[in-house]
Amino acid sequence: MAAAAVTSTSGLELDDMQGLVLRGYRRQRAACFLLYTVDEPVAARAFLTEMTPRLTTAATPPAADTALNLAVTVPGLVRLGLPARAVATCPLELREGMATPHRSRILGDLGENAPEQWRFGGPSTPPVHLMLLAYATDEVRLAPLIDELAAAAASGGASELARLETTDIGQAEHFGFHDGISQPRLEGLAGARHDENDTVRAGELVLGYPDEYGLYATRPLVEARDDPARLLPDDVEASGRHDLGRNGSYLVLRQLEQDVPAFWRYADAAAGDDGADRRTEVAAKLVGRWPSGAPLVLAAERDDPALEDRNDFRYHAADEAGLRCPIGAHIRRANPRDSLDPNPGSSASIAVSKHHRLLRRGRSYGPRITVDRALERGDGAARGLYFMCLNTNLPRQFEFVHQTWALSPKFAGLYDEPDPILTVGGSFSIPARPVRRRFTNLPRFVTVLGGAYFLLPGIRAVRYLGSMGGEPGNSSSPVGS
Amino acid sequence: MPYQEALTVLAPIRPGAEERLREALAAAAAADPPDAAMPFGRMTGVHFARLFVLDADAAPDGTPLAERLVLMSDVDAPLDRHLSELAEEGAAALDRVLRHCEGYPDPADFDGRLAYLRRHAVASAAAYVNTVGRGLDQILLEQRLRDAVEAYLDRCRDELVGSDALTVREQIRRFVAANEALRPALEPAQPPDLAFRVREAAHMVLVPAVLILLTPVLIAALPVGAVLLRLHERRDVPDERPADDAHVALLASMEDHSIQNPFVAAGPLKPGPFRRLLTTSVLWIASYAVRHVFNHADLAGVKTIHFARWVFLDGKRRVVFASNYDGSVESYMDDFIDKVWWGLNAVFSNGVGYPRTRWLFFGGARDERAFKNILRTRQAPVQAWYTAYPDLTARNVENNARFRGGLSGTMSEQEAEAWLQRL
Repeated sequence: MAAAAVTSTSGLELDDMQGLVLRGYRRQRAACFLLYTVDEPVAARAFLTEMTPRLTTAATPPAADTALNLAVTVPGLVRLGLPARAVATCPLELREGMATPHRSRILGDLGENAPEQWRFGGPSTPPVHLMLLAYATDEVRLAPLIDELAAAAASGGASELARLETTDIGQAEHFGFHDGISQPRLEGLAGARHDENDTVRAGELVLGYPDEYGLYATRPLVEARDDPARLLPDDVEASGRHDLGRNGSYLVLRQLEQDVPAFWRYADAAAGDDGADRRTEVAAKLVGRWPSGAPLVLAAERDDPALEDRNDFRYHAADEAGLRCPIGAHIRRANPRDSLDPNPGSSASIAVSKHHRLLRRGRSYGPRITVDRALERGDGAARGLYFMCLNTNLPRQFEFVHQTWALSPKFAGLYDEPDPILTVGGSFSIPARPVRRRFTNLPRFVTVLGGAYFLLPGIRAVRYLGSMGGEPGNSSSPVGS
Repeated sequence: MPYQEALTVLAPIRPGAEERLREALAAAAAADPPDAAMPFGRMTGVHFARLFVLDADAAPDGTPLAERLVLMSDVDAPLDRHLSELAEEGAAALDRVLRHCEGYPDPADFDGRLAYLRRHAVASAAAYVNTVGRGLDQILLEQRLRDAVEAYLDRCRDELVGSDALTVREQIRRFVAANEALRPALEPAQPPDLAFRVREAAHMVLVPAVLILLTPVLIAALPVGAVLLRLHERRDVPDERPADDAHVALLASMEDHSIQNPFVAAGPLKPGPFRRLLTTSVLWIASYAVRHVFNHADLAGVKTIHFARWVFLDGKRRVVFASNYDGSVESYMDDFIDKVWWGLNAVFSNGVGYPRTRWLFFGGARDERAFKNILRTRQAPVQAWYTAYPDLTARNVENNARFRGGLSGTMSEQEAEAWLQRL
């Protein structure tokens, strides 16, 4: 095992975890995600075997010029030939995929967001089986890696379905706000600063470890007879099966197109004649942070770069009524910290919030645009976020955060206020004295253009998938009855 | 204001008629407008109602437990009025489904229907009401009030900015007073009638009084009960199978069409007289608790449940739990696990297959995966469901009531400031 920059003190098998679990590859500013449909399973398995030693692990030094990770969907597992009895052990949501009618309801993928119009992951495009996640310190180093991967995949029986190219636009996302500030941290990693708000047990983010309940999340297991070479570790729950999930995680990918001109024009109109400062304030109220990342709870009146990216705050004692950060603001609902039942303000409240954390790994795409340019005439360019997150329990983490916190118009006692950034047509109240200001019928700022659920397998699991000898299954129906 | 009643009618299904009954229920659920097939909105004080088929099951000793058509409603008292309205306003709708049930008169007239409903109505072992005494009329009035005041604020905010909170409050009071339909909200909501309150107060005091008298007996019985409990818990066989995919998919297809969802779970009790006695006792305590402790907007930290009930059937061989809740089933189950696991364990651990408990209260629901599996496995689809206020969460209803309450009486400037934050 190579010298690890971050050492584990609680038995995390870093050299078996893909690097994305541990880090967002911030030094590798350039990134591209390649989506594939597997045509020839035998060649595709050989391709996986070829890729396995090249995958960046959590034990790989973070300073490398490039990084490579790989994720696979359940239809992909089926296509690669994973036995049906192992496929059946995958959690139902992973087998059903993101684009079911019920899931579309709870994720807000209706109307213009509907999977029928998606560029990948929906019913109108070929099935997504594999994703390669390629990173490099700059575009110059990324380009040859992509060429090489594309060539290898082509001869590896996989056809490219989409090439999701990203743009390094700095720490801010396209609306202009520092992003990715609040992240859960894995308990047991030396060097990770301990913070009660943010430290979660490994099993919340990595499969095969105890989660916040002390349990092991549902993960794919294979019968011992399906792993005669013993490439996989034993199931820690002693079922006698081998663990295909261990050191893996579930990866959520969603393409969120951002209409930056619409966002800033809305904020500008809402600010009336009060000018740029007021406009920024309205936008900050929608987000919950200022452009610098300073949280509204700590900097209620104006942006304060000294508070940039500060994350050591809570809501209840400082701002129960939302006079600083509105209840409906994007970040307050994505991570409500100590503001919800039971007993808001207590560690019991935080403990419950910690059952619903996501490790975000998204990247922006499309050219950056300044606020002034967006206000003037826009540029007609497509831009947005390849939202990506890792978690181990999709219904309790990603889907819960999306449905119950972000998209619910009833979040935290509200009436008709879904997330103002992610949804269309809702209201948004800015609490104030003596009375709130309310915006109604908010326009669309974000459109969902694609999405899929993946397994981000451990290294041994990738090696196992590459070595499988079985006949490929029919990928049409991983959901049994 | 009226208190609330939970009506449960359990009707045995005629042999061979189940398919046609299910078709009738599906038609009722799909009817457009729904009013004709589900005419609960035309009746007085119906908050929620549902019609569903409870599948056949078997007790652990092999006793078959027959399938039933279940009618449930959460309704303002008096129950007699509701039964009459069901037999009158609901005649056509009831006939369409109940004619597939054994013993339903054919042709049915008002008296026949009423007699049938009475004959098949069963009492709840425990019935939770989010806020006892808050009638449907009050809930609807207070929502109209809020909508009107919100619109008023949107219109007149610029004139109000800069005023102190008490001045704004006075302006709002004047606005309400000028609207005849809203004017009743200037008076506090009336509590349920005196007879009900006296009855509840007497129950609240007398039950503990009797228990104190019985203390020596209970203390003597406690160690025996504890030993028996542990013996039973060790013998329990938790059901560790994942919930059936197709069953979960069917449930999911019916969920999250509005911000409220109906929930039903049913299952046989574990075998033997001990579990039967324990379930009866726990539900009896639960009934006391929801009547006298958790009777205002908060069920031990869970604020998303409008109504809930537990009903014994099949000679206490089976229990059905039904509720109307806000949000997703995932958040509902998480609330169970994170906030009221102890209560869930005490009641549901008496059901076959529940995750293993220790000392009745511990373990059980804290096994998240096993608990969610058994809950989904035991959950029954609700084919036809009615809600009188589909856009309101229980928290909205409570906030509306508190806002209305703030229109009357005196307030300090600070109190008025806090009150205005309810908008």
